[in-house]
Amino acid sequence: MTSAPLVRLERVGKRFGEGPAVLAGIDLTVERGDFVSIVGPSGCGKSTLLRLIAGLIGPSEGQIAVAGAAPASARDKMFFVFQDASLLPWRRTAANVELPLLLRGLGPAERRARVGQALELVGLTDAADKFPWQLSGGMKMRASIARALSVAPQILLLDEPFGSLDELTRDRLNEDLLAIRERDPFTACFVTHSVSEALFLSNRVVVLAPHPGRIAHVVEVPFAYPRPASLREDPVFLQLLAEVSHRLRAATPEGAAR
Amino acid sequence: MKRHLPWILPLAAGILILAVWYAVKAIFGIESFILPSPDEIVRAGWHERRSLLSSALLTGRGALLGFLAAVAGGFVLSVVIGFSFRLKQAFYPYILILQMTPVIILAPIFVLWLGQGLPAIVAITFMICFFPIVANTTMGFLSVDPGLLELFAMSRASRWQEFRYLRIPSALPYFLTGVKIAGTLAPIGAITGDFLAGSAQNGVGGIGFMTIAYFSQLKIPALFATGAVACLLGFIFVGSINLLHWLALRRWHESLRKIT
Repeated sequence: MTSAPLVRLERVGKRFGEGPAVLAGIDLTVERGDFVSIVGPSGCGKSTLLRLIAGLIGPSEGQIAVAGAAPASARDKMFFVFQDASLLPWRRTAANVELPLLLRGLGPAERRARVGQALELVGLTDAADKFPWQLSGGMKMRASIARALSVAPQILLLDEPFGSLDELTRDRLNEDLLAIRERDPFTACFVTHSVSEALFLSNRVVVLAPHPGRIAHVVEVPFAYPRPASLREDPVFLQLLAEVSHRLRAATPEGAAR
Repeated sequence: MKRHLPWILPLAAGILILAVWYAVKAIFGIESFILPSPDEIVRAGWHERRSLLSSALLTGRGALLGFLAAVAGGFVLSVVIGFSFRLKQAFYPYILILQMTPVIILAPIFVLWLGQGLPAIVAITFMICFFPIVANTTMGFLSVDPGLLELFAMSRASRWQEFRYLRIPSALPYFLTGVKIAGTLAPIGAITGDFLAGSAQNGVGGIGFMTIAYFSQLKIPALFATGAVACLLGFIFVGSINLLHWLALRRWHESLRKIT
C-alpha cells in the first residue's frame, strides 16, 4: 500500500489583495519522515509558503492537502515554530510550553507529563520557572521548539527559527534538532536563508526564486541520518554547499538580494 | 554627602519656597485674607481638623465609589467592544461624544436625575474616570502581537480562549495605565462633583463644599488648608494604585523589571 504524501501542493499561487503574485505555480510534495528546507532570498515568499501549509492563510490558486485534508482542518497534526519564538511574556517557560496543550483541551496530568518531557528533550528543565525575559535568544528558541514538540505534531513547520541567533548557537541548535528528531521522529518543513543550515538538516532542499516566488531547483541531500557535526567539514558537503549557493545566486535577479 | 542629596535637595528647595513665601508677604505687606502664611494655614487646618477630616472622608468615599464604578464599567465596556472590531466601530464615536461633553454641563443633569449629594458626585467622578480606562483598555485588546494570534490559531484556540489567555493579559498593562490615569482624576472628579452637586450635613460637606463654605466665610487660611488636604487625598489615591500596578506587573512587564 502506498500512503498519500503528508503534504501536497499543486500549482499553488498566492497574492495578497490586488498586489503582485507572491507565489506562483508551486508544486511540492513532502513525504512522511522528510526534512524539507526551503531557501531563498528575502521576499521570495518562503514564510508565505509555510503559512499556506499551516492553513494560516489560504491560497489564491491551486490545491493544498495536509494528510489528505484541507490545511485548516489538519491543524491538530501540525505545529508552527515562529521566527521570533513568540512566547507569552507573562507565562513562565513551563506554562508557555503547556499553552497549546491547555488550548487543545488536554487534562492537567497529561499536560504536566508532556511539558516535562518536552523541556527535557530541549534541555530546558532547569529553566522551567523562568520568565521569557530571563532567557537568552537560544533558550527562547528551545522553549518555542519544546512548545511545538509537546503537542507531538506529525509535521513541524519552522519559520527561520534560528535566523536571529549567533552562528555558534545556531549550529548547536541544528545538531540538537536532529538529535531530538532521532528520539522523537517528525516530518519537518524548515524555512531558512542559510544554505549551510538547510543542507545540514534536510534530506531535500527547495530553492525558491523571487518575483513571483517559484521553485527554481530541488536538491536531494545524500547524507544519512544521524549526521555528525563534522559533516559540515566533509568535502562532499562543502561541494554541495558551493553548488546550492551558486544556484541560489543564479535564481536571485541582480540587485534583488538584500 | 552625595547619597543624601536625593532628600537634601527637595528639603532645601522646600525651605527656599517657604522663605520666599514669608519674604513676599512681609515685603509687600500682603494681608492674611489674601495670602496666609504657612503657619497660619497649619493652625487653621488644625483648628478645623474635624471638619477637614470628615470632608476628606466624604470626598474620598465619593472618589473611591466613582473610581471603582468607572474601573468596573470601563473594563466591561472595553471587553464588549474589544471582543469585536465592528462593535468598537459602532459605539466608539458615542463614547467620544460623551467624553467631549464638559462635566460642568453634565453635573446639573445628574443633580436633576439623582438629587444633590453622593449619588450625583459618584456619577460625575465616574464620567471623568471612565474614558481613560475605556480608551486604554480597548487599545490593549486590539493591539495584540499578530505572531501570538497565529500561535493561538495553530493551537486551535476558541475565540473565548484567545480572549482569556491572550487578549486579556496583553491588555492588562494598557488597562492598568488607564486605571492610573483615572486614579489621578478621581479625587479631582469627586471634588468637582462635590463643588457642583455637593450637600452638607451640620455644616460639613465634602472638600468641594468646604471650599465654597470657607470662601464665603472668608476663612482663607482654612481654604488653603483644604487645598492641602485635597492634595494629600490625591497622593493616597495615586500611591495605592501605583502599588497595585506594581504588584500586578512586576514579574514580567518590561516597564517594571529590575535591570540585572
